[in-house]
Amino acid sequence: MKYLEKLTKIDRRVIFLLVALAVIIPLVVPLGLPVKPSKYSQKLYDVVDNIPPNNQPVLISADYSPSMMPELHPMLKAIVRHCFAKKIRVMVMTLDPTGAALAEDALNEISKEYLVEYGKDYVFLGFKSGTSAVMMSIGQNIRQAYPVDAYGKPLDELPMMTGIRNYADIPLVIDIAGSAIINQWVNYAGTRYHATVGAGCTAVSTADYYPFLQAGQLVGLLNGMKGASEYEHLNEKNGYSKASKQASKGMDAVSIVHLMIMLFIVLGNIGYFFARQKSSKK
Amino acid sequence: MKKQLPLIIVLVLGIAMALQFFIPSRISTVTYETLNRWIIVIAAFAITLAVGSLISHHIIKIKRRKPGWWNSYVALTGLVVMALLGILGRINGLNWMSAFYFKLFKYVQAPMDSAMFAILAFYMASAAYRAFRARSKEATLLLISGFIVMLGVIPFGSLIWDKIPDISEWIMMVPNMASKRGILFGVGLGMTATSLKIILGIERNWLGGGGK
Amino acid sequence: MRQKIPGLLLVLLWASLGLALPAQQVPVAPEPAAAAIAPTTGIKAFDTPNDGGRAITITWQASPDEAKGQVDGYEVLRSETPEGVFSRVGYVPYGFTSFDDQEVPKNASDFFYQVKTVGKGETGFAISAVSNPAQSREQWFNAARINALIATVLFIIIVIYFITRAKRGQSLFIRRIAGLAAVDEAVGRATEMGRPILFVPGISSIADVATIAALNILGQVAKKTAEYGTPLLVPNRDPVVYIVAQEIVKEAYTEVGRPDAYNPDSVFFLTDSQMGYAAGVDGIMTREKPATNFFLGMFYAESLILAETGAETGAIQIAGTDAVNQLPFFITACDYTLIGEELYAASAYLSREPMLLGTLKGQDWSKAVIVLLLIAGVLLSWLSPGIRQLILNMLIVG
Repeated sequence: MKYLEKLTKIDRRVIFLLVALAVIIPLVVPLGLPVKPSKYSQKLYDVVDNIPPNNQPVLISADYSPSMMPELHPMLKAIVRHCFAKKIRVMVMTLDPTGAALAEDALNEISKEYLVEYGKDYVFLGFKSGTSAVMMSIGQNIRQAYPVDAYGKPLDELPMMTGIRNYADIPLVIDIAGSAIINQWVNYAGTRYHATVGAGCTAVSTADYYPFLQAGQLVGLLNGMKGASEYEHLNEKNGYSKASKQASKGMDAVSIVHLMIMLFIVLGNIGYFFARQKSSKK
Repeated sequence: MKKQLPLIIVLVLGIAMALQFFIPSRISTVTYETLNRWIIVIAAFAITLAVGSLISHHIIKIKRRKPGWWNSYVALTGLVVMALLGILGRINGLNWMSAFYFKLFKYVQAPMDSAMFAILAFYMASAAYRAFRARSKEATLLLISGFIVMLGVIPFGSLIWDKIPDISEWIMMVPNMASKRGILFGVGLGMTATSLKIILGIERNWLGGGGK
Repeated sequence: MRQKIPGLLLVLLWASLGLALPAQQVPVAPEPAAAAIAPTTGIKAFDTPNDGGRAITITWQASPDEAKGQVDGYEVLRSETPEGVFSRVGYVPYGFTSFDDQEVPKNASDFFYQVKTVGKGETGFAISAVSNPAQSREQWFNAARINALIATVLFIIIVIYFITRAKRGQSLFIRRIAGLAAVDEAVGRATEMGRPILFVPGISSIADVATIAALNILGQVAKKTAEYGTPLLVPNRDPVVYIVAQEIVKEAYTEVGRPDAYNPDSVFFLTDSQMGYAAGVDGIMTREKPATNFFLGMFYAESLILAETGAETGAIQIAGTDAVNQLPFFITACDYTLIGEELYAASAYLSREPMLLGTLKGQDWSKAVIVLLLIAGVLLSWLSPGIRQLILNMLIVG
């Protein structure tokens, strides 16, 4: 039984190597683990799906920085793909200065996959400082917050912005954030201006938003990389996207690593119990 | 006087700012906004001193040939290069410097940030392996709920039993949230007490050496 | 007569032409189109309470057509006279029956308001009657924050009571906090091993109370390292925290009578990048191999990176933070962890100064009062939702 005691002494380098393999292998050889969308991801998806095409635009706020990219960037891409596939117009903005480049990159990449035209099907508003002030300005008139788009073009010169004044003309606001800024969107856009608000957040902060989901203040929530992979899965299932599913590959890796960590914990505890039994016998 | 003056400043400004919270008049608001701007200005000056400290620290390492001293050349080079690219890149005609600055940010700094973040995955595995032992009933309960939550966020959880994601959600929303809020109550009171102690001069350790 | 007949015929011809041709349209002032939507009623304007002036609140009763879903929102219009030109000062969507005009040009001057109901689509608009005159004034006390004032005063009273008791020499029991009890042992260990002590005062700014609490502990630790001659390393992420930490350590060495032992390079600025700082501190831990690591203050995602690297080097680690999300990582990887308010109790616990201990007791009793109020509030709210809402309203700080 000595080898059972040795289970408490696995070299950490072995652990690191196994974790590295658990991450790399599923990324290289996708496992295609089944994805069952959670109820809050499905709800958000359904709300987006029901927005009439070529009509009022969805407003997406990409409020995250590069450090949160792995979890949140796939969410933005999946939602934009969904909208472009269904010809739902999209306005993308950001309240995080480092998020502007990320959002713009995503739009530039995805716009090449679909027959969409800037100004007619989507608009990039760019970064604005002021957080709650920006949200309230949009409630008055979006041109107060964004008189021009990120490229300096007046909103009135963009065909899809005709008749879009404030939240009353925006069927859905989606905030993708790794911070508590989602609370402010719910308070200002949702409660104050009756906007319909959905969100995507990092896995660590999901629990903070359950009260909003229960109260109906959020119509749906994407929970970290899992939520992003669920959205990608729904896109693929409905034929809206054939792009590679970044988050789903990531979730394969996350799933295997989670199982591996649980295995390490179990092995460590087995070794611990045997060692304790041995010392109590002595 | 060296100790008295800071204490007087803290007392006066501390009480003033505490009262400001309850006084909505324009003078009060303008004073608050002005002080906030002063804080930003002071922080800007502090950056100058901080960069001086960084340079001095690395020069000392190089002079004394401390272990890894050659890394200090890399650090200082990085500091100078990025500063020059960022400042000069705003001059018309030298915009290529600005573009290079962003390339360095996007292809060097951002990936290094992500790499450090990625280390968390390895460290979580090794920390969990080393520390998570069912030493007592409470620890066992903690481990079991931890397992349920971990299974709840991956597809295997719903494959094993479709209720696992719901139980996982309940654990996060109820006991987890309750304990978080309990800690936050204590933290709120602790912050208030610490602020009061400093304003009233009861706590003087921040002056240095126990502040006696 | 013969000349009159052609003239008469001509007249008849003109007359017949006139009758045959359509009558020329004479411009008539157009009648105002009947409003398809009902205006708001009961418009009132008054000085916005609890503010610094230059704001007037306008309230009204919703248009009856709002219930039919015909209203888009309400535009608020302002004028200096009831008969003057009204200009738009704001807009609120349907469902709202009040608006705060926060751009009133001057205090103590009459302003008049109207509310324009904007209908959806083609339903048009309707303008309400003119409101009463209203003047904005600045207030000197925010009555909406009286609950915060009462709670603060109550807290101060409790604290002063215990400080007074402590000053009279009464001993105050404080339970053992393992992490703080281990500070002396940790410093002693580093001294015996001849290795430095690493002190990380968190990665937040000086405005964060957790950072101030950490710096208070740094002062005490610096005194000990000055007495024992143990090297101290304090890498900083924030420039202002770096300056304060430097002064604290320098003063600590001077106070103990060892100004010569103070090394200015022991407290230094590293970087303000979160992960860059974590990498830098990890490098310091790997190269310098400190015997003791203190992680005290505010931390974010880098907490496990710091703690696990430190554990790898075999250092004894004492952590303390009020960042609830990072506590599990510190508890897993560190030998001792100060949870939440224990970080704020540290300076009182370590120094055992009566006044600091008194404040700590006051803090604890205030928590007991809060717990009792929570229990009472929960029991009362079971009685009726109305009481629950009343309690919630009392707790909101305006």
